[in-house]
Amino acid sequence: MPKQKTPWLRVHKPLSKKRQTFLTILSFLIPILLWCAVSYTPFIWHPDIKLDISANRSDVTTVYTAGDRLSKEYFPTFVDAVRKANADATAGINPNASPRATRRSNQKDLRQIGAVAVKNGWLEHEQTEDDAALYHIWRDLATGTKISKSPQLSEENLTIIKQNWATLSATSPDYKSSSLPETPILKLIPQGTASNPVYLPAPHEVITTGWRDFNASVEEGEITMSARFLQSIKIVFGGFLLSCLIGIPLGIMCGTFDFFSRLFEPFIDFFRYLPAPTFSTLLVAIFLANDAPKIALVFVGTFFQMVLIISKTTRLLDHSLLEAAQTLGAKPTQLLKNVVVPGILPNLYDDLRILLGWAWTWLVIAELIGVKSGLTEFIETQGRYRNFDRVFPIIFMIGFVGFFTDQILAYSKGFFFPWLRVGSSPLERLRQFFGVPSDQNKSKAV
Amino acid sequence: MNSSQLQLPSYLEQSDAVRSRFTELKERESVLTAKNLSKVFTSPQGKKIVALDNVNLEVKRREFLSIIGPSGCGKSTLMRILAGLETVTDGVAQLDGKTIEGPGAERGMVFQGYTLFPWLTVKKNVMFGLKMKGVGGVTAEQEALQWIELVGLSKFAESYPHQLSGGMKQRVAIARALATKPRVLFMDEPFGALDAQTRAQMQHYLLQIWKNVDVTIVFITHDLDEAVYLSDRILVLEANPGKVQEHIEVPVPRPRTPEQFLHPAFLATKNHIEHLIHPPAEDLYDDLPMLKMTKLGDEVE
Repeated sequence: MPKQKTPWLRVHKPLSKKRQTFLTILSFLIPILLWCAVSYTPFIWHPDIKLDISANRSDVTTVYTAGDRLSKEYFPTFVDAVRKANADATAGINPNASPRATRRSNQKDLRQIGAVAVKNGWLEHEQTEDDAALYHIWRDLATGTKISKSPQLSEENLTIIKQNWATLSATSPDYKSSSLPETPILKLIPQGTASNPVYLPAPHEVITTGWRDFNASVEEGEITMSARFLQSIKIVFGGFLLSCLIGIPLGIMCGTFDFFSRLFEPFIDFFRYLPAPTFSTLLVAIFLANDAPKIALVFVGTFFQMVLIISKTTRLLDHSLLEAAQTLGAKPTQLLKNVVVPGILPNLYDDLRILLGWAWTWLVIAELIGVKSGLTEFIETQGRYRNFDRVFPIIFMIGFVGFFTDQILAYSKGFFFPWLRVGSSPLERLRQFFGVPSDQNKSKAV
Repeated sequence: MNSSQLQLPSYLEQSDAVRSRFTELKERESVLTAKNLSKVFTSPQGKKIVALDNVNLEVKRREFLSIIGPSGCGKSTLMRILAGLETVTDGVAQLDGKTIEGPGAERGMVFQGYTLFPWLTVKKNVMFGLKMKGVGGVTAEQEALQWIELVGLSKFAESYPHQLSGGMKQRVAIARALATKPRVLFMDEPFGALDAQTRAQMQHYLLQIWKNVDVTIVFITHDLDEAVYLSDRILVLEANPGKVQEHIEVPVPRPRTPEQFLHPAFLATKNHIEHLIHPPAEDLYDDLPMLKMTKLGDEVE
């Protein structure tokens, strides 16, 4: 019998479990693949040139160092300017006539090779101004003892290295600060690779820097990443739990008794339109330093919404359940305890999941008020240095923690509310997708 | 309509057995009385709507009374007033001579929508009323299990309501309402949402329960067969405003069996109520202004 193919697009019809799981995986895979494509395919976007070798120019004040990014349009101008400077030097047109000035300029040009040496692992980052070591790098490159694999030096630059070494070795085989040649050496021509702007680091950069930052041992007095993380968690959950402590009972009372609803809800409804961040200075004034004003901000940001959402959920409770309970002899307090609370609990649970997400969104603003703290301080500082490869891991981590907390809460709903258990759990769905026999099937087989 | 072609006795004719049963019934004490009950609702636009107008009612101990009437006749309102879920505009409703002022366990109720607590197992649902009364855990549990056995659901004591069929849910609701030993059990179209077969089964169960439990039943239904089959008396209400049209003593002898659906007294009563609720109208079976749209010779009737 030929198997009938069900189309993927059907109006208001759910897909098979297998297809659902497949699409769930795909929904995460697509953005990741897009990011990879943009990062690793040189002909997609890549509007900048990231310099492997830079050069000093005496005719302009802007200084680029290796690692900087230039726009693709400007790069040829930059290269041409350096070539022209070299040509001028060869032709003997020297703007800085004095031998001292030439020596100083030569020393700068000597250090051009530093970035190449570091990238090849010949020198540590701290050694880029160790002229004696650099002097030998020039020698080794000129004689072919060392060959730069990354970046690969252009023919033009190799010729320049050889020429320069000839000039240098004619003066001295080793570096002496007093004995740099008085004729100008040639500048290396800038080299670079196509790259994306600094704000879009590649996935592997984000992962490696993230890994390094989380495992980095820090100096005394500084804060480890896990400590920052715990501090942030404390602010989110502190504010949220405090909000629950007052908001849940108040919301239930408002939803159950019109009296409380009329007394509290109009003002709360007004107050929730006041943006929480506007209270930041006020909260700092009231609660002073440390975490207290930050927790208060998360509280202000969540509490008012919470009361309204929970009172609405409470009002949605099936009225006939209350009537049934009354005909069974339940008095008002008994109704509240035995019908209202258990009746709304599953919906309340879902509300709290949404509100917890809400609390997370206040985290960054909360950590910026008063003394900057936690993960946000790290994002702020690194962002200012344009170290976006260190910023992204933190952003992702906040996202992951929020997302997985919510997923765990969603999955454990069936555990808390057994009467809602219908259909298969997400774990069961994954099992089916990968064809792993489930416990249920096993127990049936026995 | 067909029954009108048969020669039926009058619904007022009662056999000796039936007559003596009614004589005996009328001598019993009244459980539920309503005197000059009126209920006026005010619509959001400020219009006054008379839902019940001067309704009088007397229900004897262990009587089975059905309330029937066209939609909008106020039968649910009447029941809700008697259950204490609705206030009266005028008049008085009493249970055992005491004025009804609010809902209470002595007047149990079964709703069309089951209204079981979804977060409680069948057993805990049945225990609910006992717990509200302050009956202790073990005693309440044992009593609840007895009631569950009575409605034949012992196997499902630990199940949650969503795992049960509609008929089973309604049996649990009946057990739950009876567990607090109410004087009166109100049933508001309890079987309305069930399929015909389950419904017949439930009617059979209900008669058995009523026979064995000391309880008076007030029952709302749309279904004439159901009303005649179950009841001692039927209260027919008319709509706009809701008024008592007639108290009918059902002349069908007890014990009732499904075979009695074709009993002449049964058919006579049903026919009479049918006429009360839906007075024969001229235009009810008017022909539609149809054009013939089929081929010639392609007749179905």
